Amino acid sequence: MKVSDVFSYAFSAIKLRKFRSGLTTLGVVIGIAAIVALLSISQGLQGTITEQLQTGFATDTLIVSSGGGFGIGAGGAMGAADSGFNLLVNDTQPIDEIEHVSISMAIIQKVCYIKSGERELIVNVVGVDFYKYADIYSNTFVAESGDIPLNPENKTVVIGKRVSDPWKNETIFSKVDDTVEVIWTNATMLPPKNKTHTGNVAAVLKEIGGFGIGPSDSNVYIPISQAQSFFGTDECDMIIVKLENDDDATIESVSEAIKEAFSDQVSVTSSTAVLNIVSNIFSTVEVFLAGIAAISLLVAGIGIMNIMIVSLMERTREIGILKALGMKGRTVLLIFLSEAVIVGLMGAVIGIASGWVLANIVARIFSGGGFMQAGNQAAAAGGMTITPVLTPTVFLGAFAFGIIVSVIFSLYPAWRASRLKPVDALRYE
Amino acid sequence: MKILSTPVVETTSLHKTYLLGKVPVEALRGVDLKIEKGDFLAILGPSGSGKSTLLNMIGLLDKPTKGKVFIEGVDVSQLSDNRLADLRREIGFVFQFFNLIPRLNARGNVELTMAITGLGKNERRKHAEELLETVGLKERVTHKPAELSGGERQRVAIARALANNPKFLLMDEPTGNIDSKTASEIIALVKRLNEEKGVTIIIITHDQKLASQAKRTVQMLDGLIVKETGELR
Repeated sequence: MKVSDVFSYAFSAIKLRKFRSGLTTLGVVIGIAAIVALLSISQGLQGTITEQLQTGFATDTLIVSSGGGFGIGAGGAMGAADSGFNLLVNDTQPIDEIEHVSISMAIIQKVCYIKSGERELIVNVVGVDFYKYADIYSNTFVAESGDIPLNPENKTVVIGKRVSDPWKNETIFSKVDDTVEVIWTNATMLPPKNKTHTGNVAAVLKEIGGFGIGPSDSNVYIPISQAQSFFGTDECDMIIVKLENDDDATIESVSEAIKEAFSDQVSVTSSTAVLNIVSNIFSTVEVFLAGIAAISLLVAGIGIMNIMIVSLMERTREIGILKALGMKGRTVLLIFLSEAVIVGLMGAVIGIASGWVLANIVARIFSGGGFMQAGNQAAAAGGMTITPVLTPTVFLGAFAFGIIVSVIFSLYPAWRASRLKPVDALRYE
Repeated sequence: MKILSTPVVETTSLHKTYLLGKVPVEALRGVDLKIEKGDFLAILGPSGSGKSTLLNMIGLLDKPTKGKVFIEGVDVSQLSDNRLADLRREIGFVFQFFNLIPRLNARGNVELTMAITGLGKNERRKHAEELLETVGLKERVTHKPAELSGGERQRVAIARALANNPKFLLMDEPTGNIDSKTASEIIALVKRLNEEKGVTIIIITHDQKLASQAKRTVQMLDGLIVKETGELR
């Protein structure tokens, strides 16, 4: 029997049971759509994050923090000290003496309320040296309105775009020349005590988007000296080090020298290391997501097998007729497998298309998310745009997977069909 | 004077034992039968006499326990499934319950036999329409089995059986499931095929009217041929 005839015969059998075939196909569609949607979103997300890390976290900088490892906290918050050792603001001095270090600066940051008129927001208040910070993050620490003073007055405050326009709807929380109150609860005292710092908004940063290690849309910047007196501490959360170049050798030697200078009580993180961590996390997440999607495809496969066995029972007599007419066992096998291929093919095509649509819908919903007001300092993630990516590997993989799963789960029923004895099959009622 | 040729079908000492549950049933107990080209043989017998089993053996749907089946002189009793499938293409089956494929129309059912042998689409379509015309269904080619009467379905089945120009037609109670008027038409058609086209016909039947049209009859009882009328040509 010709291959085209085998396929058209198989297709006529599928057409006859439209509803059932539709449900079988739906199983494959869901599995494939899940794979495509999850993977294209996660790859899109990885792309976005990598890109933003590269812009938000200049490749020629290192971050020195006290104690253990580096935690990618929201808004760039670092892992807390765990050894009693704390970096101080003036610890930049030994770092500045290391060869290839161009600038270093300390950062103090705390979560505070910021009040403007009747409204309040929860933000990260970051104490920085405006001059150095603007030098290190020359792409992102840039004013959209107002000016960032390089020698700020005590009351100078620079706010991120999302602090100015938190809801992305032109309802302005604060703008240049506004007076804002920064309220910090000192929880180390008993009873906890609120402190208020009144500031004048000197500049609103241009929108940065996403999260980087550097400036963030939802941060409020005050001069480092003010942060020291306001928070009553000389301990800093991290020291940012700008290198003369971003050669691997430079990064390596400076990192080692810094660790040595602080007797290995600090950790030094480079942007390359962060990118590697992110990429590792994403590969793990992708395997996990693909695993979940594969389970749904497995369920679809069992569905196919089930349907094929039922179909085999129903068509026992038909198989008997075909064999009496001289059809060979392997042709019967091919007919059943062709039915699986058709179901798999339709499922894969519809699945990829709907997975792609789904990915775009989900991406749009997430990208649209604005400032998370309720006590969430992770608000920095608000401005992130995810563009789902459908790589040829995912596309072809999903396609092949749909067909392969259908065929594998049809092998047994098809084989049984091919082995039916004509005399028994014809007698079957 | 007769020319001795190789019989189309020949069985020698054919035995078949089934297991019905755990009880062995001897359906055939040594059947010797010769069918010549152009023959029209009716096999008669009560149910359980082994005539269906004999038909399955001759139709290569089942293998004998003992003894041999020859098709045109070739021993087919122990051939592989694939070879048997090939040989079945040269046998025209007509079943009591028609056994048409419900989702295919009359022409599609006739074409299917030819599709199995690998004939091209245009050829088989043309041939299928000719065959349906021969059995008097020219106006019904695109009707599905459900839209046809019992007699019409059996004609489609006969057209299908003839599609691959078979060595012989093997009919199992072809009139068993249709009314007597239609049955007469089918009988006339079968007789015409035998007389005009020289088609060799083997029929299992209870129908005395149909059997009386045959050139030869064999009577079966308890797995043996007990009576033969007519003679080998």
